[in-house]
Amino acid sequence: MSEILNISGLSAGYGPLRVIHDLDLVIRKGERVGLVGLNGHGKTTLFYAIAGLTGWQRGSIMFDGRQIGRTRSQGPGRYTHKIVRLGLAIMPQGDEIFTGLTVEEHLDSGAFTRESWRNRARRKEEVLDLFHPLRKHLKTPVGRLSGGERRMVSIGRGLMAEAKLYLADEPSLGLAPKIGIAVMQALLKIDLRESAMMIAEQNVALLEGRVDRVIGMHAGKLKGEASVALNIGRAE
Amino acid sequence: MDITFILTNALVVACIYGLVAVAISITWSSLGLINLAYGFVFSFAGYGAWLVSGLTGGNPLMVAAAGILVGALGGIIICLVVFIPLHDKPNFTIRGMTGTLAISLVGSQVLLWQFGPRAKPLPELFGFWKVSLGDIVLTSDKIGIVACSILMLAVVLVWMKSSRRGLEIRAMMMNPHAASIVGIGIRSTGLYVMAITGAMAGLASILLSQTYYIAPFSGLTPLIKGVSIALCGGLGSVQGAVIAAVILGFVEALTSRFLGGQYVLITQFLVIITILIIRPRGISGLLDKAREQ
Repeated sequence: MSEILNISGLSAGYGPLRVIHDLDLVIRKGERVGLVGLNGHGKTTLFYAIAGLTGWQRGSIMFDGRQIGRTRSQGPGRYTHKIVRLGLAIMPQGDEIFTGLTVEEHLDSGAFTRESWRNRARRKEEVLDLFHPLRKHLKTPVGRLSGGERRMVSIGRGLMAEAKLYLADEPSLGLAPKIGIAVMQALLKIDLRESAMMIAEQNVALLEGRVDRVIGMHAGKLKGEASVALNIGRAE
Repeated sequence: MDITFILTNALVVACIYGLVAVAISITWSSLGLINLAYGFVFSFAGYGAWLVSGLTGGNPLMVAAAGILVGALGGIIICLVVFIPLHDKPNFTIRGMTGTLAISLVGSQVLLWQFGPRAKPLPELFGFWKVSLGDIVLTSDKIGIVACSILMLAVVLVWMKSSRRGLEIRAMMMNPHAASIVGIGIRSTGLYVMAITGAMAGLASILLSQTYYIAPFSGLTPLIKGVSIALCGGLGSVQGAVIAAVILGFVEALTSRFLGGQYVLITQFLVIITILIIRPRGISGLLDKAREQ
């Protein structure tokens, strides 16, 4: 009953290109799930399909008991803000940031529900406790921050509202290993009692021991699932 | 006397066209829409204010409020007719331009059909007093125009800087894709943007009507000047639009003093072309990837 996300028969893509093929997936409350796969095998597209941002999609997506999927006739992004307001926090791949806004304004922009907007001062404190390097940059435009700090901003933005599902898309991509691990550790500190989290990652070693189960993704389908910590990274 | 007269005239012109230019600039950078319908909004707001001034006997406050509100209404109409149906369709930039141009043409014809070709005057909003500072004589309408437009611009900028809606608009100006990811609705934000920029155009229309009459096609010149100032300042940059408005205001005032009013467009476009050759993105055009298509 405590299913946060239940996807069945989802296909999605862009124009004539079909990226995701009849995918089924269930995420339960309190779970931290790793999604592993190579570039171009549909991890980001899966996240975008959940948010209604793909070119086209069909299949059922139940999010916290509500249907947010089905065949969509409108263009990408038309309903995204409504889905996000249901409690979806997306921490997108790369630097999907607003270069001219300051760090503080950035965090404010993540507080999209009325309640979180009222409590944004307290939430900002929590995010800054998680990412202390940002504290001294509060008034700096995000465009001037380093890559690691930008990633912290874009993840911190996702933490500003009470989300039921966190989607972290390659949080360590393009970061120095040390910073990548620090970002990963921060994701672990998020309280998941009332929510769940999916982390897409190519570097399996980073997920090891940090998630409840790991799902492989290959050519738009889910391939294989390991429910406990793996030992892949340790071989070297 | 002569030089101060030119200076004050330049400032007045810069204020009015600057309002339109900033409105065009904000619309372009947040919605990706080059709104060519401000010409219509201009006349629409002017006629709205004229009707209200007939009803209220020319109460200045009511007339100004009517102009601003009718302008905002015009913006909302454009948003509902053009932006919301088209914004996620392919080639939105061109389609949006075509759609707003169509509204401008159709709307002006409707105004012509409704109100007739005779130009309508608005009452003097700022009275008939004068201020003399040494040699300089400032008439009430000049002071009023400059004060009103600066006030309006300041209110809009402060609102965009401090309110939540303003934050959403600025976020959308910088990265529309990321904005939808953090839950900012494109269409609802579009309504706010169009209402507030329409209000700016409406106020500009009221202020310009202190000098010129209101006619169905009176919005065409401010539209052309607003678009060229916005281009010259760098589409999407508010400060660039303000700087360009001041420069072109001076060009206009100097030209009409030394060469004659009929050469204003020639010199203005020469200046714009020169600026765009030197700085193709405009005076302070955005250098990052925001809205680059």
